[in-house]
Amino acid sequence: MFLAWHEMRRSKLRFGLLTGAVGLLVFLILFQQALLGGLITQFIGAVRNQSADVLVFNDQARKNIEGSIILPEQAAAVAAVEGVAVASPLGESTFTVQADGSETDAVVFGYVLGGPGAPTTLSAGRLPTADGEAVASEKDEADGFGIGDTVTVLGPGGTLDLTVVGVARDLNYSVSPTMFTSFDTFAAAKRVRNGLAEGTAVLPSVLAVQVADGADAEAVVERIAAAVGGVEPLTRQQAVDGSPGVSSVRTSFGVILGLFYLVVPLVTGLFFLIVTFQKASALTLLRAIGARARTLVVALLVQVVLVMALGSLVAFGLYAGALQGVKNLGVRVEVMPVVVTSLVVLALALVTSLVAVRRVLRIDPLDATTGAGVHL
Amino acid sequence: MTVLDMRDVRKVYRSGDAEVVALDHATLAVDHGEIVALLGPSGSGKTTLLSIAGGLLAPTEGSVVVDGEDITGHDARRLTAFRREHVGFVFQSVNLVPFLTAEENLLVVDELGGGKGGRAARERARALLDELGLAARGSNMPSQLSGGERQRVAIGRALFNNPGLVLFDEPTSALDTQLGEQVMELIRREMKARDTAAVIVTHDTRMTHYADRVVRIVDGRLTADPVPA
Repeated sequence: MFLAWHEMRRSKLRFGLLTGAVGLLVFLILFQQALLGGLITQFIGAVRNQSADVLVFNDQARKNIEGSIILPEQAAAVAAVEGVAVASPLGESTFTVQADGSETDAVVFGYVLGGPGAPTTLSAGRLPTADGEAVASEKDEADGFGIGDTVTVLGPGGTLDLTVVGVARDLNYSVSPTMFTSFDTFAAAKRVRNGLAEGTAVLPSVLAVQVADGADAEAVVERIAAAVGGVEPLTRQQAVDGSPGVSSVRTSFGVILGLFYLVVPLVTGLFFLIVTFQKASALTLLRAIGARARTLVVALLVQVVLVMALGSLVAFGLYAGALQGVKNLGVRVEVMPVVVTSLVVLALALVTSLVAVRRVLRIDPLDATTGAGVHL
Repeated sequence: MTVLDMRDVRKVYRSGDAEVVALDHATLAVDHGEIVALLGPSGSGKTTLLSIAGGLLAPTEGSVVVDGEDITGHDARRLTAFRREHVGFVFQSVNLVPFLTAEENLLVVDELGGGKGGRAARERARALLDELGLAARGSNMPSQLSGGERQRVAIGRALFNNPGLVLFDEPTSALDTQLGEQVMELIRREMKARDTAAVIVTHDTRMTHYADRVVRIVDGRLTADPVPA
């Protein structure tokens, strides 16, 4: 610590610049991760934060709930599969609605009240207990989707009022205001939108399955796939990950984040390699007067850890500040991603610093006498 | 009592089929408090001898005993510990750690030995700097010191652990004559005051009168009788 600390104290500008650079790069990683998380939540939060263990899609829908429809015989066959406790309809569609006096698009999910498919992140109010009630996405509370507000579905078949009785976090779908209501209310809304006669049957988009106590969701998925034709069962997480929008966004961000994860440790490793070259004569002197190689390596690694830790603190400050400005994107300051990212970046920086460590280990103390000329 | 006892030491470098003898059957003994000047032209093997005596280089043949410890067969790890505990070095060019103050350049010896730079170590560093006429320079960085002052700090560092033997490699070569004389006077005074043995490698005959004995080396061979009377 003595050597590491005194060197950093005496080279504040040099180490300060590196810490700043690390801080900015880690901030970019954190910010993009938050942005990615926010985007995915807005795309698919409603699927992630509902209670069904398994969702059964039509196999031609390609995991897209918008393009899926489940026939009654498929529903009956799924309900009969071993490990399925409840299989109830879950509908999803986009509607033109009037909220807070203006027209907008909103996504409505319809589930059987009390069954699987209910929102799990209720933050205020309650779940619907009767037809005509809905839980809305918390993010859109101020736009006419707050508790007590009435949202009116518009269509050639007339209008249908939904009363918001609760709001839930991270409940958006397709970056739109989203509501969860009873399946019958959902069916009524579809009839209004499509101008269908009352009593016209509305098929569910997917089946919301609750697995039996002790049953494994993935095993149930396999059983449904084997037993029922024309369907694609997915666990909740598989449905989130497999959503077409989510996977393409993840891929794009993954490439960018991967580059950043590469650049941070490379910058750090290169810096410490240059510094090690610059102070090679001092290190040689220290080895000559009896410093163990391990002592010098520890001093180097302590510096790497300190720089990365301070850089991560800088990054956290920037991250917390920047997220205040983009709250509408559904992002939140979370400590755990910062800790995980900092640890990953630190581990990578320690790996790239091994080049500098190797240089330290190769120092020959005899070189301290070079000035006197041990030449033959 | 003998502090440095080198017997029949050879150092041979091999380059392909060729052999270059840097030190040829060198025998040298230095007693406590004795100052030996090792005089020879460039390339004569004097720094090789100094490096072997200080555990920086292993001999090809012969034996080396310092302060009662036979270091002949020591591996690199044991030689490192030996250098830390038994020998002081003052080199020609690179002598101080540039990011440590004068006082910290002394304290680093305590740190390397597992000390924590506590009050006792700090007091000893300050006392040494005071003795070397550098009381007011303890907080100065090496870049703020003159060449002579830097060598004096290096002498302080070499003496910090009370070694039995201090090895000086051309300590005055970067100094003008007047400064060189001052440094040599200081070396003599400090070695005698502590009864510490010293070997001073030099090619400057103007400085040899500060030594108790002069040993000449040419082509790796010691030419004067190296054993003190």
